[in-house]
Amino acid sequence: MKEQLRQLQEKALSALQQAADLKALQDVRVQILGKKGALTELMKGMRGLSPEERPVVGSLVNTLKDQFEACFAERQSELQQQAIAAKLAGEKIDVTLPGRGAVTGSKHPVTLVTEAVVDIFSRLGFAVEEGPEIEQDFYNFEALNIPKDHPARDMQDTFYISEDLVMRTHTSPVQIRTMLKQPPPIRVIAPGTVYRRDSDLTHSPMFHQIEGFLVDERVTFGDLKGILTHFLKEFFGEGLAVRFRPSFFPFTEPSAEVDIACVICDGQGCRVCSGTGWLEILGCGMIDPAVFDSVNYDSDVYSGFAFGMGLERIAMLKYGVNDLRLFFENDLRFLRQF
Amino acid sequence: MIVTYNWLKEFVDFDYTAQELCDRLTMAGLEVDALEEIGGGLDSVIVARLDAVEKHPDADRLTVCQVHNGSDLVQVVCGATNHKTGDLVALAQPGSVLPGNFKIKKSKIRGQVSMGMLCSEKELALADDSAGIMILPPGLQPGLPVFDALRLKDYQIEIGLTPNRPDCLSVVGVAREVAAMSGNPLKLPTPQINPSSESIEAQVTVTIEDAEYCPRYAARMIKGVKIGPSPDWLVRRLEAVGMRSINNIVDVTNYVMMELGHPLHAFDFRLLQGGQIVVQRAQEGQKFTTLDDQEHTLVAEDLMICDGQRPVAMAGVMGGQNSEVQDDTETILLEAAYFKPTVIRRTSKRHGLHTESSHRFERGADIDMIPVALDRAASLMAELGQGTVLSGVIDNYPQPLEAVVVSLDVARVVALLDIPIDSETVQVLLESIGLRVDAGDSTSRLQVTVPSFRPDLEREVDLIEEVARLYGYDRIPVTMPVGTVDASLPPLRQQVQKKLRDAMVACGFSEALNYSFYAADAIDKLRIAADDPRAEHVKILNPLSEDQVVMRTSLVPSLLETVARNLAYRSIDLRLFELRPVFLLRDNGDSCEERLTLTAVACGRRYPEGWAQPAGQIDFYDLKGVAEQLLETVQVTTVEFSSDQPEPYLHPGKSCRLLQSGKCFGTLGEVHPQVLAAFDIDQPVYLLEIDVESLIPLAGEYQKFKPLSRFPDVIRDSALLLDESVTAAQVLEIIARTKLKYIENVVLFDLYTGKGIPQGKKSLAVRVRYRDMEKTLTEEEVVKAHNKLINSLCHQLGAEIR
Repeated sequence: MKEQLRQLQEKALSALQQAADLKALQDVRVQILGKKGALTELMKGMRGLSPEERPVVGSLVNTLKDQFEACFAERQSELQQQAIAAKLAGEKIDVTLPGRGAVTGSKHPVTLVTEAVVDIFSRLGFAVEEGPEIEQDFYNFEALNIPKDHPARDMQDTFYISEDLVMRTHTSPVQIRTMLKQPPPIRVIAPGTVYRRDSDLTHSPMFHQIEGFLVDERVTFGDLKGILTHFLKEFFGEGLAVRFRPSFFPFTEPSAEVDIACVICDGQGCRVCSGTGWLEILGCGMIDPAVFDSVNYDSDVYSGFAFGMGLERIAMLKYGVNDLRLFFENDLRFLRQF
Repeated sequence: MIVTYNWLKEFVDFDYTAQELCDRLTMAGLEVDALEEIGGGLDSVIVARLDAVEKHPDADRLTVCQVHNGSDLVQVVCGATNHKTGDLVALAQPGSVLPGNFKIKKSKIRGQVSMGMLCSEKELALADDSAGIMILPPGLQPGLPVFDALRLKDYQIEIGLTPNRPDCLSVVGVAREVAAMSGNPLKLPTPQINPSSESIEAQVTVTIEDAEYCPRYAARMIKGVKIGPSPDWLVRRLEAVGMRSINNIVDVTNYVMMELGHPLHAFDFRLLQGGQIVVQRAQEGQKFTTLDDQEHTLVAEDLMICDGQRPVAMAGVMGGQNSEVQDDTETILLEAAYFKPTVIRRTSKRHGLHTESSHRFERGADIDMIPVALDRAASLMAELGQGTVLSGVIDNYPQPLEAVVVSLDVARVVALLDIPIDSETVQVLLESIGLRVDAGDSTSRLQVTVPSFRPDLEREVDLIEEVARLYGYDRIPVTMPVGTVDASLPPLRQQVQKKLRDAMVACGFSEALNYSFYAADAIDKLRIAADDPRAEHVKILNPLSEDQVVMRTSLVPSLLETVARNLAYRSIDLRLFELRPVFLLRDNGDSCEERLTLTAVACGRRYPEGWAQPAGQIDFYDLKGVAEQLLETVQVTTVEFSSDQPEPYLHPGKSCRLLQSGKCFGTLGEVHPQVLAAFDIDQPVYLLEIDVESLIPLAGEYQKFKPLSRFPDVIRDSALLLDESVTAAQVLEIIARTKLKYIENVVLFDLYTGKGIPQGKKSLAVRVRYRDMEKTLTEEEVVKAHNKLINSLCHQLGAEIR
C-alpha cells in the first residue's frame, strides 16, 4: 500500500508537470482526486489494513493530497500566466499608426499676440479699454494736437466717412475717450483695429495697434523707459538690447522711437533690419500738455506717457512671418500653424 | 530729405565716417533711412591715358586703343568716336562691376584683345544720357580711381524727417545738427555780389495786398543772363540729392533751396506785365496754368503772385507757365518770400500740387533766411549765367515778426526727465543748436530766444524735448513708475470675447481676419431684401479700391469668400470663424453702430481624414452643437431655436434663428445653394452667426453648483412612434412639463424612419435617467414615473410605444 501510494505520488506530480494547458491540468486532478480517481480507488484498499497501519497510511494520503494541491496551484498559476501572455501576444497592434485626433482650432496670430501683450501689461496694473473704429475727427486728431491743415496729418493717410468721421488711424483716440471719462491716476492698455489709406507689400489698409498710457503725479521719461524696456524684454527675451531715440508725434513730447536689436539676425545686420541691426518696434513719448488741455487735466500737476505699436509687426517678428498679406488671406494652412 | 557727406563738410568740420555720421544723426532724431556710396565699388574704374588710337583692322566702327593705366600699356577696343590720342579716359578694368550689374571681362572683339572698357558718363551713372565716352579733364594722374581723381566720391544720406523739423530740409540745417554734436562751428555761406549801377527799384515795384498770408516778399534782378546747361558740379549735386537739372537759372534756385532750405522762384522779367509784382488772393473761379502745364481753377483763398494784369505764380507752390524762364530769357526777377504755412498747405492740397517748395512753406520756412538765400542765388546766377545783379534789394516786410522767447524752468527739466542737470548745462545744450539763452538773475529760470529757423519751439515742453535730445535719450535712467494700480478684472465685454474665442477654438475652428470693408455689391450675393437694414452701408469717401468701398454689415460675404479661396487651394475641410464688428447705419443714416458679431462657417468632413475616423460630412447638427456649446460657455440658457422667418441666404428647411425671450440674436443653418453658387462654392457650407452685443448682457459669470446624488440611477428606454411633424422640442417640452422630480436627464438617442415604420411616421427613442437625492428608487416608483411620462406623450402628441 505504501509503495502504491509512493508510485501514485510520483505519477500524479509528473502528470501535473506535463499538463499542457488548464484543461489538461483539470483532467489530471480528476484522474487523481476525482470520484473514480486513482487515489479514491487506492483508498478503498484501506479497509483491508490493520488498525495500526490505518493512521500511518492515512497520514501518508493526506501528505500526498497536500503535495498534489500545492503543485496543482503552482502549475495552474503558471499556465494561467502563459495563457494571458499568449492572448496578449495575439492582440498586438501597430502603435505607429496615427492617433484618432479631434479637429483642432486656432486663434489668429494677431489675437494671440494681442492677448500676450495685454497679459504682460495687466500684470503691471493696466486695465483694458476699447473705442469705436469709426471715430470722430475730434478724438482721432484734434484732441491729440493734430489740428486741421497741419502737416502732421500727412503722417497718417486717412479714410474718411464724412467731413467729421474717419476710420480711426490709430488707437490713440482711446486715450482721449478714457481721460475724458475718468480722472488720474490712470493705467490703460487699448488694443484695436485701425485703418490707413495705404496698401502695398508692407502696408495693409487695415491693421492692429495696441495703445498704452499712464497718467499720474510725477511720472517721468525714465518711467516710460522702464515700463517699455520691461515689456520688450518680457515679450522678446531677457537679453534683448533696447534703444530709445528722439522722434516726433504731435501728441507726445518728448517723443521717442524705440528700436530693439534685430531678432532675426541678433543685431548683426540683415535684410529685415536693412543691415542696421535694429528694428523699429514702437513709438512713444510723454503726453503733450496740449492733449491734457483737451481733456481738462492739469499739466502742472500730472504728467504721463503713452505708447503705441503695430501688432502685425510684432507678430511677424515673434513668429518669423515674412509677408504681411498672409495675416489677411486666411489661408487655413497658415491659420492652423498658430 | 537727401544730403551728401561732402556737401555737409562745406558747412561744418567733422571726423565721423559716413556710417558714424548716420548713426549719430539717427540718435539725434534725424532718422537715416538709407546710406549709399556714390561711386561705391567702382575703384577699379581708373584714369587712363590714350597713347595710341587706331582703326580696328576688321571693323569700321571700332577703334583699337593703346591705353596707359598708370603702370602698363594695355589694349582696349572702343566703339566710340569722340576720343583721340592723348585724351584721359575712364577705364573699367576687367573685374569691374558697373551700375546695373554690368560685369566687365577681358574679351576679344573681332579678333582684337580688349582689356576692359572705356566708359561713358551714363555707364558710370554720372549722367542720364551721354554721347560717346567720358573724356576726363587734363592733369589727372593715370591709375587713380576716377571717382577719387574727380573728387566725386561721396555718400548719399537719406533722412526720414518728421514734420516738426523744417529746419533740416536743407544741407545747412543738417549741418547745424552736426555742429551741435561735434562741437565744431557752423560755417554759413557769405555770398558776395558785385552789383551793376542800375537799380532794381527803377525796374519793378512789389505790393503785398495780404500781409497776413505773405508777411515778407523780397526780390533781386539779374540782367544779361544766358540760359544754358549747368556746370557738371551743379548737375551732380542736384542729382545726388534726387533732383534733375533743367538749366543754369532754375538749377540755381533748386540748389540754393537744397543748401539753405529757402524756396526761391525765378521769373522771366520781360513776361511780367507792367513791371509789377502784386501779392494777393485769387479771384474765385479764375483759371491758372502752372508750369507743369496743368490748368487749375482758383478759389478766393489761394494766394497768388500777380503782375500788373494776371497771376504769374501760385504763391509758395509753383510758378506759372506764363512767366517761366525760357531759352532766350535775359532778365531774371528772383523771388524770395515767406508765406503763411496753412495757406500754402490748403492751396497745395486743394490743387493736388505737392512740391519741394510747398513742402517747406507748409512746414514753416525761415523768414530770416530770405536775404541770404536771395544773395546766394543772385550771385550764383550772375556767375553761371554771365549776367549782372542789379543794385539794391526789394524787401517788403511790413511787420517784422518778433522773435519767440520761451521761459524754461530747469526744475521742470529735472522733474520730467529724471536727470541731474543744472542750468549751465541746459544753456550749453540749447546754445549748441543756435538758441539764445539768457539766464538773467535767476538760477533756475532761463529765457530762451528761439531763432526763426525753429518754428517748432514754442513752449517750455518743446525746449525740454530739445534738452533730452541733446543730452541723449540713452543717458536717461530706466525707472519704474510708482503709484496706484488698477487691479480690477477685465470688463465683461472682454471676458465674453475671450470665452467665445476659446470655445470656438475648442470646437475646432480657426480664427480668420478679413478687412472690415468690402465691395458695394458684396451683400447682394446674400439675396438680402433692399429694405433690410444690412443693405444700407457706411460708405468710405476715399476708398483705395473697388472691393473696399463700404463697411461690412455682415461678416458672411467675407467668410464665404474665404471659404472659396481655401477650396481653391484644395483645403476642403474648413472650420473658420471671425469675431469682429459689423457697421450698421442708424437714425436714417445719421449715425453708425458697431456691433460685435461672431460668424462661423464649416464644410467638409466631420472628423479629420484618417484611417480610424468615420467618414461623415458636417451637417446642420454639427453647427447646432457648436452653438449650444458656445451658449453654455457664456452661461446663456433657455434659448429657442425657431425655424420661422429664415434668413434669405440660408436653406429655408435647414436653418433657424436663435431666440432669447422672443428676441433674435443669431442664425444657424445651411447656406442657400444660390448663395453658394454666387461665391463659386460647390459643396454645402453651414453657418452660425451670433450678435455678441446681445449676448454680453445675458452672459452669466458663474454657474451655481448642483448637489450630487449618492444613490443609484435607473434607466428606462422607450421608442415613440410619432407623426413626422412632431418636433423634438415638443417631446422634450412635454417631458419637462411632467415635473417628475426623479428625472435626472433625458437623451434622444435614436431617430428612425424606413422599414417597419408607417409612412408619415417616425420613431424617436428616449432614454430617461431616474435618480433621487435622498434614497434608492424602488422599481415601483420608477415604473409609476415612467408610465406617467409615456402617458403624457401618448395623450398630447399621439405617440405610440413601439
